[in-house]
Amino acid sequence: MSNTTLVPRDSDRKSLPGATAGPPGGTVGSSSSAELQTRVDPRHQAGANSTPTNSRGNHTLLAAKKLEKSYHKGKVEVPVLRGVDFAVRPGEFVAIVGQSGSGKSTLLHLLGTLDAPDSGEIVFEGNRIDNLPARGRDVLRNRHFGMIFQFYHLLPELTTLENVLAPVMIRLGVLSYLWQRQAHTERAKELLEMVGLSHRLTHKPRELSGGEMQRTAIARALIARPKLLLADEPTGNLDQKTGGEILAILKRLNREEGLTILMVTHDQAIARQADRTVRLVEGRVAAA
Amino acid sequence: MYKLLLSWRYLRTRYIALASIISVTLGVGTLIVVNSVMAGFAREMHVRLHGILADVIFEAHDLNGFVNPLWHMAEIRKVVGDDLEGMTAAVHVPAMINIQVRGQWLTRQVNLIGVDEETYAQVSDFRQYLLHPDNQKQLSFLLREEGYSESARQLPPSGWKYRRLKSHYEREYELQQRMLRQALGEPDPAAEQAVSPASDSAAGDTVPSDSIATDAVPESEILATVPENPLDAARADEPAQVFDPSTHQHAGIVLGIAIGSVRQRNAAGEVQDYFLCRPGDDVRVTFPTAGMPPKAASEQCTVIDFYESKMSEYDSGFAFVPISWLQEKRVMGDAVTTIQLKLKPGTDLNAVRDRLRERFPADEFPYRIQTWRDMQGPLLAAVQMETTLLNILLFLIIAVAGFGILATFFMIVVEKTRDIGILKALGAPSRGVMSIFLSYGFSLGLVGSGVGMIGGLLFVYYINQIAQLIEIVTGQEVFDPTVYYFQEIPTIVHPLTVLGVVIGAVLIAVAASVLPALRAARLHPVEALRYE
Repeated sequence: MSNTTLVPRDSDRKSLPGATAGPPGGTVGSSSSAELQTRVDPRHQAGANSTPTNSRGNHTLLAAKKLEKSYHKGKVEVPVLRGVDFAVRPGEFVAIVGQSGSGKSTLLHLLGTLDAPDSGEIVFEGNRIDNLPARGRDVLRNRHFGMIFQFYHLLPELTTLENVLAPVMIRLGVLSYLWQRQAHTERAKELLEMVGLSHRLTHKPRELSGGEMQRTAIARALIARPKLLLADEPTGNLDQKTGGEILAILKRLNREEGLTILMVTHDQAIARQADRTVRLVEGRVAAA
Repeated sequence: MYKLLLSWRYLRTRYIALASIISVTLGVGTLIVVNSVMAGFAREMHVRLHGILADVIFEAHDLNGFVNPLWHMAEIRKVVGDDLEGMTAAVHVPAMINIQVRGQWLTRQVNLIGVDEETYAQVSDFRQYLLHPDNQKQLSFLLREEGYSESARQLPPSGWKYRRLKSHYEREYELQQRMLRQALGEPDPAAEQAVSPASDSAAGDTVPSDSIATDAVPESEILATVPENPLDAARADEPAQVFDPSTHQHAGIVLGIAIGSVRQRNAAGEVQDYFLCRPGDDVRVTFPTAGMPPKAASEQCTVIDFYESKMSEYDSGFAFVPISWLQEKRVMGDAVTTIQLKLKPGTDLNAVRDRLRERFPADEFPYRIQTWRDMQGPLLAAVQMETTLLNILLFLIIAVAGFGILATFFMIVVEKTRDIGILKALGAPSRGVMSIFLSYGFSLGLVGSGVGMIGGLLFVYYINQIAQLIEIVTGQEVFDPTVYYFQEIPTIVHPLTVLGVVIGAVLIAVAASVLPALRAARLHPVEALRYE
C-alpha cells in the first residue's frame, strides 16, 4: 500500500478542516456527504484490508438509465445517444469504446454533469444527479468527480502546482484558502511526486511535454480526493510510450487506491487494459 | 481565490487590455487637471468679483439717489437683524476722467463712486487692493508723502515728494518761457496762462493768474515743506487763498490701476506697465450733477492711490472719491444711490435679499436689491457652464475608453473560451467565472484611473513649470500676463472631485466588462471545452 493516500478516507476528510463543508444549496453538499460516506464505506474497508478488486460487490457507484441526447444542426435533429444503459461499480476500471461519432464523449460529458441529457437518468451513489441545480452540479464536479481530457485542458496562466491546486482554489474562498494553503500545497506536491513531476512545480503548461501535461491533469483530478475519475481519451494525443505511462498510472491508481475509473477511448488496445469494456454503437450500448 | 489569481495573471499577461486602459488614464488625468484649473480660476474670479462688491447691494434706479439714507439704513438693519456685519452708503455716478499725458488729454470713462472712508472698508475687501501699505490699513483720501513704490506694482516715484518736484519743475519751466517771451518782445500771456498746457494741471480754479511768478521758493525749502492739512486747502472756497500744488492737493481720488496705466510689451517683448499718471498727479473729473436736467460738473482731483483687484472689469472702470465731496459737488444733499451690506459669513445671501425685497417691494420703492452673485450672474454662470461642459465631454472620452475595454474584453473572453470551459469543468460556478472578468475590469479601471490620478495631480502640481517648458519649446507664451492678471495659473484640487472622477472611471471600466463577463458566464462548458 502506498503512503500517498489518493482515495478519501474518513480520517482524511476529518483532518482537513472545511473539506467537507460545502456551500449551501448543493444537493450533494455538506448535508448529504455524511450519507454518501457511509455508503462508500465498504470500499474503503476493502481498500484497507485486501486488494480492491476482490471487494467489488453489487453496489453501483454510477449508473446511466435510458440516456438520450441529440444535437441540433440547424433544424435537423441529430440523435447522439439513443437510450444508454449501464452501471459502474465502485473500484472498477471501465473503458467505453466506440468509433468517433458513436457518442462516447457525449456520454462522458453527461455522466460528468457538464451537459444535461434530453431524457433518462444519471444516478450517482443512489442520488439522481442529472437534474441537480447548476450549483449542485458544480459542487459535484469539484469534489466527487475528477476529470482528465484528451487535450489536457490546463490553465495556461498558472504553473503546474497552481493548476493542480485550481479545484481547491475554486472550492475555497480567499481567506480559507490562505488559511489552509500549507496543507493543500503539501498534498498537491505529493500528487505531483506520485505522477513523477516534482521537478516541474513552477513550470507553465507551455513549457511541459504532452505527457507531463496529462500527468499534471491527473494530479489535478485527484486533488479533491474524488470517488470517480472520468477520462476522455487520456492517451489520444500522446505517442504510444507516453500513453502507456499514463495508462500505467491510471491502472496503478485503480489497483492500489481503489479509484473507480471510467475511460473513453477509440483505441481497442488501450481499452483492453481496463477491467471491463462497454462498446457504444450508434448511441446504444452494444452487446459485448 | 482562483478569481483573484486569474485576474491578476490576466492583468500581467494581457498588455492589449492595458493599452485600452490608457484612454481611461488620459481621461482621468485630463479631468483632474481641468477641474483643478477651472476651480482655481473660479475661486480667483469669485474672490475678485466679490472683492469690490458688497454681499448685498441696495441701489436706486435714479442717479439722484434717495434722500434720508439714515432712515433706510435703520430699516435695513431692522430687516436683516443679527446677520448684518457692516453697512455703508455710497454714490455711484457715471463720469469721465481726463488725464494729461505729455501735453495730451486722455479721456477715460469710469464709474465714479463716492465712498465713506470709515465704513466702506467694512463691507468689501476694497482696502486690501490699494497699493499704498498705509492705505491698506486705513483709507484716507490724502496724498501720502511716499512709500508707493513699496507696493507689489513697483510704482515710479509718487506722493508728495514727486508732486513738489513736479510743480517746482513746471514753475521753472513757466518762468523760462515768460522770460523768453519778454526777451523776444512778445506780449505777456499772463492773462492766458490758465489755459496754457504746461501749467494747467498746476493751476486750479482757485489759483490767481499771477501767483506763479511770485511763489518761487528755494528747492530745499520745497522738499522740506510738509502739508499740514492739504485737504482743507483743497476744499477751501475762498478765492483769496492761494492753491499751491507743491503744498496743496485737490480732493483725493483712487483710480483703478488700468485707468492710470497701460500694460504693454516693450521692444524686447517683456511685459511692462506704462503709467499715465501716478499718485501725486492731478486729473480732471467730469460728472453729471443731480437734478433735472443734469449739468456737467468738472472738478480737479489729485490721484492719491491706485487699487488693483486684478479684475480688469473693475480695475478699468471704477474710481473712488470721498462721498461728502461728491454729494457736495453734485448738489444732492445727503442723498445716496446705493447702500451696501456686508453679512456675517455663512449667511444665506438670497434669503436676506428676499427679505429686503419684501420690505421694499419694487412697485412701491424704486430700488433694486441684488446680491453680488446676481450682479455678476452671467459671468459666474458662464464659468460654471464651461466647467460642466468640459466635465461632460471628458467623461464622454472615458466612456469611449469604456467601449474600447468592452471590445478588448470580448476578445479576451473569446480567447479564453477554453479556459472558461476548464474552470467550469473543475466546478467553478458561472458567478465565479463572471466575477473573474468583472474583477479584471475593476482592476484595469483601478490601475488606469490610479495612474491617471497620479499623473493629473503631478501635472497640476507642476503646472506652472510645465507652462514654462511649453513656452521654451514652442516660443509661445501659454499664459499671457497682458491678458490675465495672474502671475501663476491658479489651481485648486478638491479631493472629493478627484475621488468622484476616479470612482466614475472605475465604474465605467467595470460597466464595460459586464457584457463580456456575462457572455463568459453563459458559455456552455462542453462547447467551451471543444473550442479550438
